[in-house]
Amino acid sequence: MTDMGKIYGRSSADFAADAVRRAADDAGLALSDLDGLLTSSGVVGGVGLDLQKDLGLKDLRLLSEVQAYGSTAGAMVQYAAMAVRSGMAEAVACVFADAPLKEKSSSGAAYARSVGASGWRGLMGAAGIMGANPLYALAARRHMDTYGTTSEQLAHIAVAQRAWAATNPRAQLRDPITVEDHQASRMIAEPFHLLDCCLVTNGGIAVIVTTAERAAHLRRPPVHVLGWAQSHPGYPMHQGSDFGLVSGAAQAGPAALKMAGVSLGDVDVAELYDCYTFTVLLTLEDYGFCAKGEAGAFAASGALAPGGSLPVNTGGGQLSSYYMWGMTPLSEAVLQARGEAGERQVPRHDVVLVSGNGGILDHHSTLVLSPHPHA
Amino acid sequence: MTTLDVRRDAATEKFFDGTARGELLIRHCTACGAHAAPQFDACPACKEPTAAWIPAVGTGTVISWTVVHGRPRDDAPAPQQVVALIELTEGPWLYAALNGLRAGERPWPGMSVTVAFEHPEGGEAIPIFLPTA
Repeated sequence: MTDMGKIYGRSSADFAADAVRRAADDAGLALSDLDGLLTSSGVVGGVGLDLQKDLGLKDLRLLSEVQAYGSTAGAMVQYAAMAVRSGMAEAVACVFADAPLKEKSSSGAAYARSVGASGWRGLMGAAGIMGANPLYALAARRHMDTYGTTSEQLAHIAVAQRAWAATNPRAQLRDPITVEDHQASRMIAEPFHLLDCCLVTNGGIAVIVTTAERAAHLRRPPVHVLGWAQSHPGYPMHQGSDFGLVSGAAQAGPAALKMAGVSLGDVDVAELYDCYTFTVLLTLEDYGFCAKGEAGAFAASGALAPGGSLPVNTGGGQLSSYYMWGMTPLSEAVLQARGEAGERQVPRHDVVLVSGNGGILDHHSTLVLSPHPHA
Repeated sequence: MTTLDVRRDAATEKFFDGTARGELLIRHCTACGAHAAPQFDACPACKEPTAAWIPAVGTGTVISWTVVHGRPRDDAPAPQQVVALIELTEGPWLYAALNGLRAGERPWPGMSVTVAFEHPEGGEAIPIFLPTA
């Protein structure tokens, strides 16, 4: 992981190269040990195949740019694991970096710049939809109208994650917040207040996927990838769509757990993609931690917070720590699985569930990680 | 409160020809008869590339809604825009501005709405929706 946050004057490619170097060093590998590289960009782009040359990597056996938005980090680990299993490559670096923050410019502006004014996208803009905020807001409102979910229940997710962030030295926001603070924060797109929305971050994160045999002899405790799945619902934009009510997590979660040979009850900690509080709420239901429509009450019970029954987003997530798309939950999951999360380390971390979510709930990836090679 | 002038491209040419003459064009599959949202080139129901353009009746209901809040500037109140996800009577869903509500009034799921068109000088005509009178 590179330094994170309001770090100006560096390109996304620069953060990406830095992240790969740091990950290799952390693992005790030389860059020349890498024979695979999967790259991914955020909103400003710029992390592509040229990264090979930036890093001086020779004779790679796997090189590709991956894009499934917020589900990419999980997807990269899946593709890397398949490549390693097949023997196609033995040490694959997976990297994400982004640098949308400019000095003297708002976080919102960083993302609004990506909206065009022509064609179908332009029509969205004319409707008042600039960026993802209104689209996720529409999803959340539908859930509220259908199941009675409330803004105060969403607030509990933000509050719990901030409580976790308090002990994460990498977190951008560490001051505790209350439900009242959430309710008083500026309205962005109803029902979302500012404190329902993720941060914007400059930085880069890389992970390295290799064989269990090789990982056992490297510098850090290995984290085993026990199970994985994706789901891309393809909401039809038509009568009957369950947009806002069910996401790809409903299919990918059970599939990944089955592959790992564990059940939901075995999950010790969950790192869930949180572009918005609502994304966490929907993912909890879709994974089956509670019944459909009950995640609001589940969150309000304090279950997700430090000391709760299901530790969720233990580093503060994208709401409070850093916004590195799918690398945020993945990086925290790796730290927790290794037992290296410091003050916020959860006592039991044998099974760590990681979600990625991209588009407007369009793309989902699930990983099941563990410090043990088998469940 | 349409603030963005929209330009046409190859994919939206026919659609904006429609809005210019006050028609909301959607897709109608000549093979299976299904309706689809205007951006679908192939019929999402039968997967055939047989989606023709037809004018929608122009009525629908609200599936979901949001109010986008702008940043307050100086002493002026923050601008607000009601945005709705609308199910047309034919079945397809559209995102559109929902105008014509009183200050502070909010839509509700199932609310009846009717299309109207804004004709900004600098861009294509844009469909908006109003509460059905």
